[in-house]
Amino acid sequence: MGSASGPPQSFGGIPQITHALQQQGYIAGHDVALSIHLSVVLRKPLLIEGAAGVGKTEVAKVMARALDTDLIRLQCYEGLDVHTALYEWNYQRQMLRIKLEEASDRPAEEKEHLIFSEPFMLKRPLLQAITADRAPVLLIDEIDRADEEFEAFLLEVLSDFQVSIPEIGTIRARHIPHVVLTSNRTRDLSDALRRRCLYVWIDYPSFDKELAIIHRKVPEINDRLANQIGAFMQLVRRVPLDKIPGIAETLDWSAALLALHRDHLDPTAVEETLGCLCKDQEDLTRVRTQYLRPILDSIDVVGQSDDGWNAERIASLAAQLPKGR
Amino acid sequence: MGGTPSGSPRWQPSSPKAAEAAGPAWGRPGNLAGNVTLFCRRLRRRGLLVGPSEIADALQGLTVVELADREMARLALRTTLCSRADDLPIFDQEFARFWVGPALPAPSSQEGEPDESPMPGTEESERKSDLAVAEWNDTGGAEDEREVPAYSPAEGRSHKDFSAFSADELRSITELIVIIARLIATRLSRRTEAARHGSFVDLRRTMRRNLRYGGDVFDLVWRRRKIRKAKLVLLCDVSGSMDIYSRFLIQFIYALQGALSRVESFLFSTSLTRVTDALGHRDIHEALHAAAREVPDWSGGTKIGASLRQFNERYGRKYVDARTIVVIASDGWDTGDLEVLDAAMRELHARAGRVIWLNPLLGSPGYEPVTQGMSTALPYVDVFASAHNLNGLRALERYLQDPRASRARTAEARRAHLAVVRDQGDRR
Repeated sequence: MGSASGPPQSFGGIPQITHALQQQGYIAGHDVALSIHLSVVLRKPLLIEGAAGVGKTEVAKVMARALDTDLIRLQCYEGLDVHTALYEWNYQRQMLRIKLEEASDRPAEEKEHLIFSEPFMLKRPLLQAITADRAPVLLIDEIDRADEEFEAFLLEVLSDFQVSIPEIGTIRARHIPHVVLTSNRTRDLSDALRRRCLYVWIDYPSFDKELAIIHRKVPEINDRLANQIGAFMQLVRRVPLDKIPGIAETLDWSAALLALHRDHLDPTAVEETLGCLCKDQEDLTRVRTQYLRPILDSIDVVGQSDDGWNAERIASLAAQLPKGR
Repeated sequence: MGGTPSGSPRWQPSSPKAAEAAGPAWGRPGNLAGNVTLFCRRLRRRGLLVGPSEIADALQGLTVVELADREMARLALRTTLCSRADDLPIFDQEFARFWVGPALPAPSSQEGEPDESPMPGTEESERKSDLAVAEWNDTGGAEDEREVPAYSPAEGRSHKDFSAFSADELRSITELIVIIARLIATRLSRRTEAARHGSFVDLRRTMRRNLRYGGDVFDLVWRRRKIRKAKLVLLCDVSGSMDIYSRFLIQFIYALQGALSRVESFLFSTSLTRVTDALGHRDIHEALHAAAREVPDWSGGTKIGASLRQFNERYGRKYVDARTIVVIASDGWDTGDLEVLDAAMRELHARAGRVIWLNPLLGSPGYEPVTQGMSTALPYVDVFASAHNLNGLRALERYLQDPRASRARTAEARRAHLAVVRDQGDRR
């Protein structure tokens, strides 16, 4: 597939990627770092799946920064078509040019060639990625939201990295972009697309990892509150909710608590800010009425115990939470 | 992608380090490339999407990690060989079985004759055939696919006799169902197509066509929204309490499947059976017999929740998306766990475009959906209709023609944004 040239010179081994990721504020496990590395070395697209809000999109952003290249993003949605993803003609400009050319005595054929040439073309993300001067990171975000027709088209582009435009001809990729696809698994992707890609699954973070993320992203926060938030998140994710809060919610919540000058979690503080975590009326009520007290009690138990904040301890408490809806 | 890996030009050169790393790989005799190939073959047998190009990737992936670091090597294989979340536990299991323990001393015996087999004895012969790596393109495949549980008449479960259909009955039902199917299964798409009259101007084509007028626009080319064909998933309750209706409902399913191209049909009582292929027979009697043969527990108890959960787990992702209409035909008498039903309906409703519940009891006067199963499921239902006989189907058809005109709404239904379609004639 595509060019035989190796990875870019600037790109080091896995420790370097992990380091670069950390520098960019992304706390990655070995699996994420390795899969980025493999994706660059094997020149295969990387398919990232996982629940909403675990930082899938972030991987591509950080990857672009680590590779020191551009990020081109294609956000997918239902009804996304080739014109929005690949190219469109700039009609206003074409019209204007036709008017300007009216007086000239160029033959009609030449006029046509003129207005259907690259300057009159609006490049959409896929074409931008293919024609870029250096290999960019192409993020195809939430591919599961596009429909099957688009997926088929994408597959074609991803296998050849060339597109044919009727008016111009075939455009071949100058540099094969580093492709990252993300999916929230709202529908199953085709086997063909999956086979084209390397695969990595990103789960909700462990207690320790989430704690590190909180400290990095919200540095002003004190240790106790950060620990409590981390533990609260581990516990609240065990509650049967429609929308389980992800890392983005954790960070919003931390920032909100900080802004309200809270230095620890108590029922009032949580009730006031619960909207940062639960974005659904039913979830909100469920957490507030059934789970708030037990979770906060558990957190107090952990906080007061001698061995302090520890992931296994929190996991065992999570198992004791009331079950069912 | 054809050809054996050993004959493929990509294979050797692309993985010089891996190929050179002959010798024991984490306790397995033989060279690494051979072992990876065997491992891939196992994964493929477990349903992973692994072929020659994935093996090449896996080997190349191994060249970028330190082979002594088992965890990194595991991750490299996992990244290259898995392609969906469901693959991960299978991979982990197979990995633990295949690449056993820490490195053992290199066996002095012949390659491919391990002195210590990690596998159960039954797999010994399979292993030997595994080692015929060149035969990758599958001799064992047919054998693997024979796992479908066979129907056993000895189990003494009752099966339905469908031979008693009158031709007239069938014809009128079929006609009505074709109409209903079209109503259910078409809606406007967000995609557009070129059309003589439409609601959007197609700029691209308009430009093209008007070039001949030197840039003045005389003809407009229009686009309109495409009509999108929905997919249909039918889940029909054939438990004991549904006995008198299931005969009718099966006909309904059969006719729907004939009228639309993208229909998946399932029957359930205490567990779920996919009958799409069985009902695909051209001859209706044959089709119904085939379906009856496949369902093990006809007229048994009802576990709607468990059956729906089974559906979600096995087929949901594959067959249900935002443009799928799920039709459940059941009386809502659930003898199973209501929490399971609630969770299953919630998931189904979230994934599907629309959920239609056909409850034959709704046809009887004065019926209110107060059984626990039904009231648990109802919040996740978009259209609640009777459809227990021809009149019921007609009422459903009328509703689908003009949803606003012909629906009866109870207070509860309004709260749940639910349309209740009853056959008015039946109540008089």
